Amino acid sequence: MSMLAGVTVLEISDGLTDFGGRMLAELGADVTVVLPEHAQEKSRERAWHHGKTRLLPDSAEAIRSLAAKADIVLDGHRNGDRFDLASAVSPTTIHIKVAPFSAAGPYAGRPTSDLTLFALSGLMHVTGEPDGPPTKFPGQQAYALTGIQAATAALMALYARRRSGNGQTADLSAFQSATLANYREAVMYEWTGRIGRRQGNMLVRGKSGVRQIWPCRDGYVTWSMIDNPSMMHAVVEVMIEQDAAGELADIDWGSILVAETAQETIEHWQSIFGAFFIQHGRDQLGQWSLERGWGLSVIMAPDDVRSSDHLKARGLFVMVTDEATGEKVNVPGPLFHSAVMDAPRRTLSVPVAASAHRGGAER
Amino acid sequence: MSALAGLKIADFSWVGAGPRSTKDLADNGATVIKIESRRRLDLGRMSPPFAGDPKDFNGSAFFAQTNTSKKSVTINLSDPRGIEVAKKLVAWADVVVENFGPGFMDRIGLGYSTLKEIKPDIILASVSVAGKTGPMAGFRGYGNSAAAHSGHAWLSGATDGDPHMPPLAYGDVVAPMFLTVAILAALEHRAQTGEGQHLDVSQIEPMVHVIADLYASEPTEKMGNADPSFIVHGVYPTSGDGQWIAITAETEAEAAALKAALNITSIDDATIATATRQHDKFVMFDLLSAAGIPAGPVLDGKEVAENPELLAAGHFTKADHPVLGKSSMPTPPYRFSDTKNAVTAAPLLGQHNREVFVDMLGLDPDHIDTLIAEGSLA
Repeated sequence: MSMLAGVTVLEISDGLTDFGGRMLAELGADVTVVLPEHAQEKSRERAWHHGKTRLLPDSAEAIRSLAAKADIVLDGHRNGDRFDLASAVSPTTIHIKVAPFSAAGPYAGRPTSDLTLFALSGLMHVTGEPDGPPTKFPGQQAYALTGIQAATAALMALYARRRSGNGQTADLSAFQSATLANYREAVMYEWTGRIGRRQGNMLVRGKSGVRQIWPCRDGYVTWSMIDNPSMMHAVVEVMIEQDAAGELADIDWGSILVAETAQETIEHWQSIFGAFFIQHGRDQLGQWSLERGWGLSVIMAPDDVRSSDHLKARGLFVMVTDEATGEKVNVPGPLFHSAVMDAPRRTLSVPVAASAHRGGAER
Repeated sequence: MSALAGLKIADFSWVGAGPRSTKDLADNGATVIKIESRRRLDLGRMSPPFAGDPKDFNGSAFFAQTNTSKKSVTINLSDPRGIEVAKKLVAWADVVVENFGPGFMDRIGLGYSTLKEIKPDIILASVSVAGKTGPMAGFRGYGNSAAAHSGHAWLSGATDGDPHMPPLAYGDVVAPMFLTVAILAALEHRAQTGEGQHLDVSQIEPMVHVIADLYASEPTEKMGNADPSFIVHGVYPTSGDGQWIAITAETEAEAAALKAALNITSIDDATIATATRQHDKFVMFDLLSAAGIPAGPVLDGKEVAENPELLAAGHFTKADHPVLGKSSMPTPPYRFSDTKNAVTAAPLLGQHNREVFVDMLGLDPDHIDTLIAEGSLA
């Protein structure tokens, strides 16, 4: 059986809720999603809505009826309160209202998108090259982060309902969800007065900055000189074996604080590491890292990720069939490993009119 | 009463990936006992910024923000007598959380099979860089390893540039959110079946999940700030040094409204940028919002800390910490109607030894004093 077997969910999709509903469906809940007025990109539909029953929003009455019967309602308000579900849900329903901002704050009601929420989060300000524009993370991270918080709030309320027997409402802010992920910038300002800025791929700590991205023979790897003596020793040991360590072999990494070392010295040491990395391929460097504990990671392109032996062994990617076209697409499936989970349905259902829907989102 | 009142967590995790999850639980009313040791300090306690002396392991604001609302006890997990006390916490707990390397919990005698013998319906929640199984199990990495192995770094940055690392350990942000969801789902499963389980959360897999829409699109391409499903989707300069605003228009109506608001006849990026340069980003935010156009000023750390919307929403609360004083702590992004969150200050190292070992577990106080003095509970 699945972890959320028997739990019924109604989701009003607007971007903010999509991944939350997807998580609950993956965990075995019976999720019915009301699609947005404007059709989403096909890739987003397949990624976020597979495993759900999809409804077209032709009847507010039918949707309100489903809300009244659901255990959980993930109610996306990015495009406003489309169906007034607060007046439709039952006393035992968990109603998660997901809006861009707090319900009564100064930004309430402002229009948003993933990009504008990400800009507000403070994360964009520190992402990108120093002489370039602020840059977003790939995909739609503000939406994804909000969706995870929507699923979290729903499951917390489900835990509380087991104790009390009562449902309740939660107001969830997407702006706060995205900002919560930015754990560094506000606290650094509060305690140091320093305002972070874009550093490109430099990792700046203390007086010096170190590289994070290195070209190797057939791509890129990420690794940094950080104050972790055992990791530093582990890399240099292999460089000694390969006759590539030079003067690095004589450094006692346990007595050095990289963050307090002069930038000129850092650059010199990095030139030796860089010459070593460029001599070797990604697989070799990755293998040394795994076996010797370097903390180095291969920068994997999407096709590398899809074909990763490790992720295949973990069963991350699953084949989803688009019922409308018969097309198949390979997308992430299980959220984590659990021995008790049955596989949920791996289809993107054909949307049906809410007015014609029978079943789903009913206890 | 808080949503998770009555929930009991024995938290062996440290640094970021575990503690951020148990913070979620503690801030919502779960009793979270953080098991630490003076002999192997949580690296979070040594992470900046600090209230004063960086050597004061109770003065890290980073640690304080990551460990709100928890209780701290000290147990030396390399000492068999410490392990015996840890087992009593397991017997008390609903959930055990850990983020050690593979095999460590087994080696110290706290593997899942042992935990089940102590408490048959225990939930063990593990989080690690690559998970507990598969060819990379045991991979020793740090916060940004998952960005590399998930494709996130390859897909980040300018379209014509090198791969780009996130400016923070994003895997240490996303994975604990998955861990929280996993724990809550496992609690529901236990309520339905009476069964516990071992949850195995990898940092890499959540980082793939949050870009699943890109993986559903083949070929998966690096897009920079662009999104071809929008008419306008970019970041534009405003007045002031290094100031920017994000603007999007998804529909023809929004595009028309943008033209009108900026008094421009074309909505190519160069024309928009020429118009936005004339205005302050917050003035522009108000103007475009009023016109129904999604916009967001690019905020820096100061502007986040002082943002009126976040302050009005109670995004930060002032917790009174013995070393940090009254300082800002982030709160959950949701507000329940009936169950309130309860964000309190992070614990000092070992602050709750007596409360937990004696008052809660009912152990003999003289015996506890002896174990503390002899380093078993240190």
